Amino acid sequence: MRRHRFGLQLACVAITLFFGVPLYLIALAAFSSRESLDRFPLPLLPTDLSAETITTFLGSTGVVGGYLNSLMVGLSTVVLALVIGVPAGYALARHAFRGRDPYQLFLLLTRALPIVVLSVPLARIFLQTGLYDTTYAVTLLHTALALPTTVLITSAVFVGVPREHEEAAQVFGASPARAFARVVLPQALPGIAAVAMFTFVLSWNEVLGATILTLNQRTLPAHVLTTLSDSPLAYRFAGGLALILPAIVFVAVMRRYLLNMWGTTLR
Amino acid sequence: MTNEARATRRALLQAALAAPVLAACGGVSTSGTGGAGSVNFLSTQFTPVEERQRFEKILADKVTSAKVGYNPVDNATFATTLRTQVEAGKVQVNLVGGLHGDLAPLGDKLMDLDDLAGSLTDRGFAADLIELGKLGGTTAKYIPWMQATYMMAVNKKALQWLPSGADVQKLTYDQFLSWMTAAKAGNGGKPVFGLGAGPKGLYHRFFQGFLLPSFTGGQITTFRSADAVTAWEYMKELWAQTAPASTNYDFVQEPLQRGEVLVGFDHVARLATAPKDKPDEWLMVPAPSGPKGLGYMLVIAGLGIPKGAPDADKAKEVIRTLTTPPVQTEVLRQNAFFPVVKGDLPGDLPAAIGLEAKAVAAQQSASNAIVSLPPVGLGSKDGEVSQIFKDTFKAICLDGKAVKATLDAQATKLNAILDEAKVACWKPDPAGSPCRAA
Repeated sequence: MRRHRFGLQLACVAITLFFGVPLYLIALAAFSSRESLDRFPLPLLPTDLSAETITTFLGSTGVVGGYLNSLMVGLSTVVLALVIGVPAGYALARHAFRGRDPYQLFLLLTRALPIVVLSVPLARIFLQTGLYDTTYAVTLLHTALALPTTVLITSAVFVGVPREHEEAAQVFGASPARAFARVVLPQALPGIAAVAMFTFVLSWNEVLGATILTLNQRTLPAHVLTTLSDSPLAYRFAGGLALILPAIVFVAVMRRYLLNMWGTTLR
Repeated sequence: MTNEARATRRALLQAALAAPVLAACGGVSTSGTGGAGSVNFLSTQFTPVEERQRFEKILADKVTSAKVGYNPVDNATFATTLRTQVEAGKVQVNLVGGLHGDLAPLGDKLMDLDDLAGSLTDRGFAADLIELGKLGGTTAKYIPWMQATYMMAVNKKALQWLPSGADVQKLTYDQFLSWMTAAKAGNGGKPVFGLGAGPKGLYHRFFQGFLLPSFTGGQITTFRSADAVTAWEYMKELWAQTAPASTNYDFVQEPLQRGEVLVGFDHVARLATAPKDKPDEWLMVPAPSGPKGLGYMLVIAGLGIPKGAPDADKAKEVIRTLTTPPVQTEVLRQNAFFPVVKGDLPGDLPAAIGLEAKAVAAQQSASNAIVSLPPVGLGSKDGEVSQIFKDTFKAICLDGKAVKATLDAQATKLNAILDEAKVACWKPDPAGSPCRAA
């Protein structure tokens, strides 16, 4: 028993290191002076700290604006994808209707098309309707990209919530809507939180569509990606750190809702 | 978990949910403009963080006629954005700037600029550049903006191994090879030459514009000629004397600064910081000459205005300002791109740029110079053609495949791309349509 526990602890430490060490290294490089990055062997402890590259990066035109745009797009995408996707997932889980299986397959088709193929015609439509170069345009694209997974994952989550609970609530006088909101939704919350994370990270990482649909009001990755890939190494570390931090914060906030997901039972 | 912690987390979530509602304005500007009347400048140049900041400062300081929002993008996005906007008939970009190769395939999306070109005769653009700006037609499609080339940076420490009788300013490829061989031996078996052969490196330009033209006199038509076989055999020998870590170098100035290599070949803008701290220890020298001459690649950037662009007059005013000698010099001083207008360079250039300026002049005025251009008119196929040169390098130098067979195989692929593109040959190949490897 004791040996078993030790093995478990070891595995936990190994996995934490697997994800933590790259984060530490990129943070270290982002806060090191440019000269120290040229040194060999590279020091693995913070010996030569300097905020020069990261402040230059954060101070460059549009980085703060890009941050705000990315947050707006990411959160709006999460909200919009959940508002549309959760009812659709519920319907898929609870109701047998003709063509349900082809419909599920059909949902995935949007993901089968490359984003470039989608976004060029979209850019034309958005130009003509005046949506071009707004965060709304990017939100719509990202929602469309996220919906298939939102619908399919939430439907799988709703299948896991016993139908009897819902029926019991209705027996005690709850309307179907109330039964859904008070009984089903709380039990499905961990799954929905996972979907929200997935959607947010998808939107945060998406570059191609966002680049083509905007000009002056870009999301952060679209704004800096070309810049960073052509920049000296020091800036790539600074930019990389700036790009991953918000996603980590978002995951940390949503983590609480995940805890029950693989627990003994769905409460 | 305490209630308090729970409360703050809930507040955070609520704030997060409220953010989209607050975002009623459609976004925050990321290019420093957005107001009506400002000029949207879409460009493929000055993408690195610092170059971009310095150019934005030049725009803010020198361009007084309008506020300019500078949007640097990669060349695929550049072409897509321009195409969709002009085709949708709702153009939001007022001004575009790119390399000749970026602008050439978009000629039909650009406004005729004859009136502007006519009013800029006092700038003294070289006749070649004006001709290039017509993109093969009869009217000016873009106005020359700036130029650049590639060269070698040499740390003076490496001069101790220079073979006697060789002039570092006028090397031949053979002398260069024996120099690098001696240097590797003298340096304890550690190679001193670095090439930007990393994922983002520009090493294909070394083959396209320097090695092959110097050995064969051409770039595409002579792709599998006997001379080309000699050139690649040479490259194989040179690679044996080159730092193997070159396949990680994107900007050769970085390993030069680290002292990892002592001699490097790259784009002028990617060498500029190498001699910055200790200019006395460095030399900037022209590329070597081969049997056919000194092949070198000219990089030309131009400024154009999309058809149907709003405020075209303001954009023209910006072009006027950007082509004045003081602004051109400032761009050279800050970002190491050379002026296209006539005028003497000031004596107070930063030391690194001054070194480069001398080498550029030497390279251009060499009596045996063979000018070549990056591929013209290939548009999205540009990358594919460059990839052919990269693949050839990989097969011959890294994988050790036979030269002739590799060239034959790659020439077939090259011709498949070119047959589809149907473009006329560019320098140094003789103009003729369509361009393909013989």
